[in-house]
Amino acid sequence: MRISFVVPTRNSARTLDACLASLRTQTHPDVEVLVVDNGSTDATTEIAARHADQVLQWGPERSAQRNHGTDRSTGDVVVFIDSDMVLEPHIATQIHDRFTARPEVGALIIPERSFGDGFLARCRQLEKHLYVGDEAVESPRAFRREIIDKLGGWDEKLTAAEDWDLADRTREVTTVGRVTAWIWHDEGHIKLRATFAKKRYYGRWIDQYVRMHADSSGSKFARTALLRKPGRLLRHPMLTAGLATLKLTEAAGLVMGIRDSRAAASASASAGSASAGSASAGSASAGSASPGSASAGTR
Amino acid sequence: MRILVLNWRDLAHPESGGAEVYTEQVLRRWAAAGHEVTLFAAAVAGRPAAELVDGYRVVRAGNRFTVYREARRWWDRYGRGRFDVVVDETNTVPFHAHEWVRDGARTIALVHQTCEEIWHINAPPLAAQLGRYVLEPNWLRRLAGAPILAVSESTRDALARFGARDVTVVPEGYEPPGDLPRVAKEATPTAVFCGRMVSYKRPREVIRAVQLARREVPDLRLWMIGGGPLLDRLRREAPAGVEFLGRVPEETKHDRMARAHVHLATSVREGWGLVVTEAAAMGTSTIAYDVPGLRDSTRAAGGVVVPPEPEALARWLVELLPGLTTAAPAPLPYGGAHSWDDVATTLLAAVDQHARVPDGVRAATPATDRSIRENQLRGADA
Repeated sequence: MRISFVVPTRNSARTLDACLASLRTQTHPDVEVLVVDNGSTDATTEIAARHADQVLQWGPERSAQRNHGTDRSTGDVVVFIDSDMVLEPHIATQIHDRFTARPEVGALIIPERSFGDGFLARCRQLEKHLYVGDEAVESPRAFRREIIDKLGGWDEKLTAAEDWDLADRTREVTTVGRVTAWIWHDEGHIKLRATFAKKRYYGRWIDQYVRMHADSSGSKFARTALLRKPGRLLRHPMLTAGLATLKLTEAAGLVMGIRDSRAAASASASAGSASAGSASAGSASAGSASPGSASAGTR
Repeated sequence: MRILVLNWRDLAHPESGGAEVYTEQVLRRWAAAGHEVTLFAAAVAGRPAAELVDGYRVVRAGNRFTVYREARRWWDRYGRGRFDVVVDETNTVPFHAHEWVRDGARTIALVHQTCEEIWHINAPPLAAQLGRYVLEPNWLRRLAGAPILAVSESTRDALARFGARDVTVVPEGYEPPGDLPRVAKEATPTAVFCGRMVSYKRPREVIRAVQLARREVPDLRLWMIGGGPLLDRLRREAPAGVEFLGRVPEETKHDRMARAHVHLATSVREGWGLVVTEAAAMGTSTIAYDVPGLRDSTRAAGGVVVPPEPEALARWLVELLPGLTTAAPAPLPYGGAHSWDDVATTLLAAVDQHARVPDGVRAATPATDRSIRENQLRGADA
């Protein structure tokens, strides 16, 4: 069984070498690596050329890059990996074993841990730890080719929450299993200001996602996993305080992003649509009601 | 060629380390090849201010703080006009030769590693903040305009962050011992750590990783080789399966390294991570933290780097051990580094190719020729 790893990149030189090296040292014998870059201006493509079977250029956003990688890949299984992830060496072997043993399973979740330097990275580590096993947050990354073809790939209209969207659609057509090996997610050095800006950008797309999936969105934003295991939080009061700060910053960014999106929508739709304005105000206040009530993905 | 090398220490210094070995190995070969080589370094108690060592001249003056000023003073009095090229070997503090060599000689810097995080380990808190965020960035930015040689890709990347553009990577050298230990691997799975027991080598994280891995490989053992301030404490706290050997003779170290199945390295940062090279030359693979320096030597030696967390090290260890215990790799020639002959030749070529007359005196127009002559005249006056 050939396993194809598809890695979308954009100025990913800091983390890409470790990522691709971990794909290249998988214990499974038949592995293919595709990097789909989107106009990087740093050393990304040189690093990619050292490790990958194919280095492609495509855009405009991550979903389109992943779909292009899927089209060009030749494996029986397609696994979507981000450029800041490091895979344990036996992940491909476990994917092969799991798909072989259970024909009814069409997609697999790979659990994640995070690492990085500084205090906020440790807070993020705690957060990721609490999500493990939470269906509302975890999304499948490994797909049988017939399943990803049937689903029509990633939704190119979405740039954030596209993984939840695909997860929802996957669960409608097949059983989702999981492997036990880990993906290690390199958070680098987390800065609050950059976190805010990123969430504000994603917020615009989250709004789009919510409109598309009006029914199932609640569980994703509530992030109840964070509060379901209070023992874990109480054991690390400093990290919990840091995590609360981080989540509040993210929530604020997201709310601003959603407001940006609504403002743009109402401005373009019609000047006299007062109802859209009040709806946006309502959702904004709901979103900021409690810490961790809104956060866009775990990227 | 007439070459002056500035380094804060020479091999006779009681605290000399890897950079001094590198310097000594290269300089003796340059001297043997017929070059006129001088090394300027800090004074060493009981050693003369000038002597001939292995064919090159060593001049000593100043202590670890004043050696930089003494170098400049010596240059003004005796050095000026007598050298073709000046190599500024930087151990955290550059000599900044490119700012005061004004006689038309060319200069180039040689950097083994940047200090950065290690400030916090070697200096008291406030001094460390000052060093890491004020002094070192300032020194390196001043150096950034000069041509630089770096011993690893990691060091080049680090220098690039401080604005250096003209950086060339030169090889690291290693000479395996004449008689490689001819021993079989141990019967039980064994990991080895080799380094000083100081916090920036993070010996605790190795112990923790092995402890975690023992949940799945219960008979896994760990040998901890090396002395240092943390040794006694670690020894007291050590869990089952860990043996401390303390500081041991080279032969014992090589013997243990060769008998182990895997070598583990967890430093915060290295210039190259020579211990990985050494292990590979003994036929032992390394799993190391993915940090600057260790990354370079581990990749060159065919080892594996992992996210810098004890849990990650444990996971990779458990997965890779079966492969390592069934088929040990053959000893790697020079452990993935280069022979000193190679290093000396490559380094000389790199110095010759990349060293430049410092910007202020750039010899491009006749006017500059005149300024060089003026400088020489001024030198003769002094």
